[in-house]
Amino acid sequence: MEWKRLWRKFARNPLNIVSLVVFTVFLTMAVFPQIFTQFEPNRMNSAVRMISPTGSHVFGTDQFGRDIYSRVVHGVRETLFIAFLSIVFACVFGTGLGIVSGYYGRWADQIVMRLMDAMFAFPTIILALFIIALFGASQKNLIIALGIVYTPIFTRTVRSSTISIKEFLYIKAAKALGKGDFSIMAKEVLPNLTSILIVSFTTNFSTAVLSEASLSFLGLGVPPPTPTLGGMVGQGSNFLLSAPWIALFPGLFIALIVLSINIVGDGLRDVLDPRY
Amino acid sequence: MKKTLLFLLVLLVVFSTSFSAQAGGALKFAVQVEPAGFDPNLATAFGSHRILEHIYEGLLSFDEKMDIVPGLAESYEVPEPTKIVFHLRKNAFFHDGTPFTAEDVLFTFQRIRDPSFASPAASYYSEVLSITAPDPYTVVFVLKVPMINSLLLNFAGVNSAIVCKKYVESGANMQLQTNGTGPFTLKEYAAGNYIALQKNDHYYIPELPCLDTLTFVVIPEEISRSAALRNGDVDMAQIMEPLSLNTFSQQRFVIYRVSTLPYLLLGINNAVKPFDNVLVRRALSYAISREEIVEMVAFGEGTVTGPLNPSLQTWALLPEAFDEYTYNPDKAKALLKEAGYPNGFSFEAVTFAQYSLDKIGEAIQAQLALVGITMKVNVAEFGIFVKRWREIDFEAFLSLNGGSTEPDIQFYRTFKSDGATNKFNFKNAKVDELLEKGRQALDLEERVTIYQSLQKLLVEENPFLFLYSPNNLYVSSLAVKDFVPMSNQSLIMLKKTWLDK
Amino acid sequence: MIASYVFGRILSAIPTILILTFIVFLAIHLVPGDYIDIMLGTQNYLTDEQLTELYQQYGLDQPFVAQYGIWLKNLITFDFGTSLRTGQKVSALIVEKLPVTFELAFLALFFSLVFGIPLGITSAVKRNRFGDYVVRIFGLVGLSAPAFWIGAILIVAVSGLFQDYTLFGFVSLQTDMGKNLQILLIPSVTLGLMLAAQIMRMTRSSMLDVLSQEYVKVAKAKGVAKSKVIYRHALKNALIPVITTAGIQFGYLMGGTILMENMFALPGLGRLLLQSVNQRDYPVIQGIVLFIGVFIVLMNILVDILYTLIDPRIDLK
Repeated sequence: MEWKRLWRKFARNPLNIVSLVVFTVFLTMAVFPQIFTQFEPNRMNSAVRMISPTGSHVFGTDQFGRDIYSRVVHGVRETLFIAFLSIVFACVFGTGLGIVSGYYGRWADQIVMRLMDAMFAFPTIILALFIIALFGASQKNLIIALGIVYTPIFTRTVRSSTISIKEFLYIKAAKALGKGDFSIMAKEVLPNLTSILIVSFTTNFSTAVLSEASLSFLGLGVPPPTPTLGGMVGQGSNFLLSAPWIALFPGLFIALIVLSINIVGDGLRDVLDPRY
Repeated sequence: MKKTLLFLLVLLVVFSTSFSAQAGGALKFAVQVEPAGFDPNLATAFGSHRILEHIYEGLLSFDEKMDIVPGLAESYEVPEPTKIVFHLRKNAFFHDGTPFTAEDVLFTFQRIRDPSFASPAASYYSEVLSITAPDPYTVVFVLKVPMINSLLLNFAGVNSAIVCKKYVESGANMQLQTNGTGPFTLKEYAAGNYIALQKNDHYYIPELPCLDTLTFVVIPEEISRSAALRNGDVDMAQIMEPLSLNTFSQQRFVIYRVSTLPYLLLGINNAVKPFDNVLVRRALSYAISREEIVEMVAFGEGTVTGPLNPSLQTWALLPEAFDEYTYNPDKAKALLKEAGYPNGFSFEAVTFAQYSLDKIGEAIQAQLALVGITMKVNVAEFGIFVKRWREIDFEAFLSLNGGSTEPDIQFYRTFKSDGATNKFNFKNAKVDELLEKGRQALDLEERVTIYQSLQKLLVEENPFLFLYSPNNLYVSSLAVKDFVPMSNQSLIMLKKTWLDK
Repeated sequence: MIASYVFGRILSAIPTILILTFIVFLAIHLVPGDYIDIMLGTQNYLTDEQLTELYQQYGLDQPFVAQYGIWLKNLITFDFGTSLRTGQKVSALIVEKLPVTFELAFLALFFSLVFGIPLGITSAVKRNRFGDYVVRIFGLVGLSAPAFWIGAILIVAVSGLFQDYTLFGFVSLQTDMGKNLQILLIPSVTLGLMLAAQIMRMTRSSMLDVLSQEYVKVAKAKGVAKSKVIYRHALKNALIPVITTAGIQFGYLMGGTILMENMFALPGLGRLLLQSVNQRDYPVIQGIVLFIGVFIVLMNILVDILYTLIDPRIDLK
């Protein structure tokens, strides 16, 4: 069984397993934040403002008396949701453009790739800033902005793979048999891209988490009072000396999420790449 | 000369408390924002004003208590309700050595009032009939309407600072180069890094300024500014986050705080539903606890304010005088019911990420939720905010408005039906009438009565909600002496500041 | 051969750059709020006539396409325009700020290689053994954290622990080298950490790739000492893709400097760009975007050429 073999290979490395477990915990947090928390993330309480981590508030509270732990858990939800969907967006569009560009070559390739180059040659933060400024800060627009930013990366990867896949004999055979271009792209080329797409997906997923955090840190994230990890670091960094817990915990969670995705990603690549 | 100075220095180190001021020293002051252009008659940026006020001067000036004192005009008199006569200083020189005369005053005001020049100060002088100079050291302003009280303050503003006629006509680029009469001259502007000012050796008050150099170091981030101060990279810094004050020990630092005139407000579009109903506006006021906002957002570093800042004792009605200022969610609900919104309503407030406005939004959001009102906070980029503000494209907004010690300046533009900054769609004949009367009345007592009834009317009508005036906070090392912060956020008292090190 | 290749690449880069500048021009004009709005803020007391006058003075009354046309026309004579905000020449501004950003990016790249390559090698050599785990966890924990978070913590930590350390008050390299390097150390390490994670992973996979190849196996079989195999044979080949990608990363680093320059108050290009976007200082934005775009395109060409010089099997195409 193919999947079983791959899983055994993946599981050989305990670090992979640990990271997968950690990431699964984060994923569960994102889907069911309520079971992890006892406080409403946005409930203010002037009686418990700015208290340092204690029994009832394990990560302390902020200046509005909101429970940092609850906000961090809900922030994980927001951050993972945005990062995940934006990479799905980028993956879908990038793959489409990449296959078309690589398969047809010539002017289609020229148009697509020059556009991608133009987007590449531009600081991602500023690009996302433009898009968000243009359409307003909301969860949906943040996903679109990051999705657009990450599209060229997928386009490039997919395009270069498509160019080599195109030369495979059975694809030439399919062409000779008179199969349509679309059907070849969808049925012959796309399946061959699976492993490279899985690897790109995880790699870019982790950077998208960081990008989302950077944008929220710059105040371009989801509007208040919805908590995001980057936004919490942004609001809390002014208190880094007077109330360090406000910025430290969300930052730590970002680091842990990115770390677990990175290790799982490395593991996946090791498994999927036949060379190892 | 140098030796005596050194001797004095030694003496001062020994008896530092017994001396009032000491010459010399280089002060580094960390600021958040950079200047944007150096033309005093054009500059609108806060960052520009904080630099230009040391280089240029107006005919009048403010002292520590915000009272009007002589500037480039030694004195002034008001022979008639529509006439001001300024007697100019005879010993003032521009930094390039050109003597200051009435010519420069006439030229400056011609420049300001030229419509094609588009000076933000032009509207201040729209009621001026003529400006003449009977002799090189006298300037006479004749007004169309008697409004001297509100006009005088403008002469102390940066935008009315006097420029050198000869210099401007020589074709100098006034946005890049400077030539004023102030206590400091511009030495170097390293964009994105610092602005270095140097002592004007020929200043008409010989003992001023005390400092040799005054350098404004631009450090945008709050933690970076306080870290720079802690490390001694700068001697002084403006602190935006009140809680940071706890991290500066009294053994090493001095903390300055001043209640300022600008006020935070929840702006309302009075023409849209449900805000066209005065009961709803009044309900908002009852539903909001201003004290809690000051405590939560500013850690108590702010003053709840009515239409006029409570520090203006002559004029202001204190917040306690208004029933609408008492936090009363039940009354708010009752009013909403009376207005036909028993289940509350939902609206969007647009704002931008400065002056803790996003946090104020979060606090108000939580308070309004308790009476069933859903407020969405839209933290937009500043440019977008300004455009929506200008076009009155909002239901509500959160912002900071500049304040004044003069009621006419505070109210006229903002509440007059056709006022330049009345972006609230607020039209009230009674308010308009009081505004005109207050502007033209000359007797102080009469004016106080007019403006007090206006304040009452404004709180009843609630065209927008005055929230609080934030304190300005500065921290310096112990070596910095004789700095006085001012309620209009001006730093001009740095001319008297000296370094004990 | 190479000359015609380079010429071709540069020629094909021109439309890219033009698209880039047009997109940026379009985007910045579509974003609500223009230069005049932001200049006047909410203390806008001007009459309508005065406003019209202002728009005319700044040339902002023209339709958008005309403005772009004027900008392009001036570009042909290497006139990048003047800043609306300060009246300074855009070209002078870029020349003034570039060294700061360049130095920061260069130092960051240096640190990322210094941290990333040894960690990547260790991880590959000790693959799936204890050393691999330790290195990857310790490496990646630090490296996965957001740069703005690390930067803020470092500022607080350094200012608390070393009271004499100069963190702020940038001076140029020529003025005072010691102070300059001291000030740039923390931001460039912070920025370098961000990149080091990528370098480390790239080194690891590239090393694994090379170690599995025939000639390394042959060398091993021949009895060549293990360390010699790793450092003499494998490393040399494994580093080619790492170095070249680092070259491309240098371009992106120029963008990554924005956050660091803001946080550490460095007068660089990134902060100027952010500030100009906030102020809608159109000529400055256009100038910087053009500059960074050209820089990245040239960098890519350079990397491709280097690639062929190092590895003759790769064909320039």
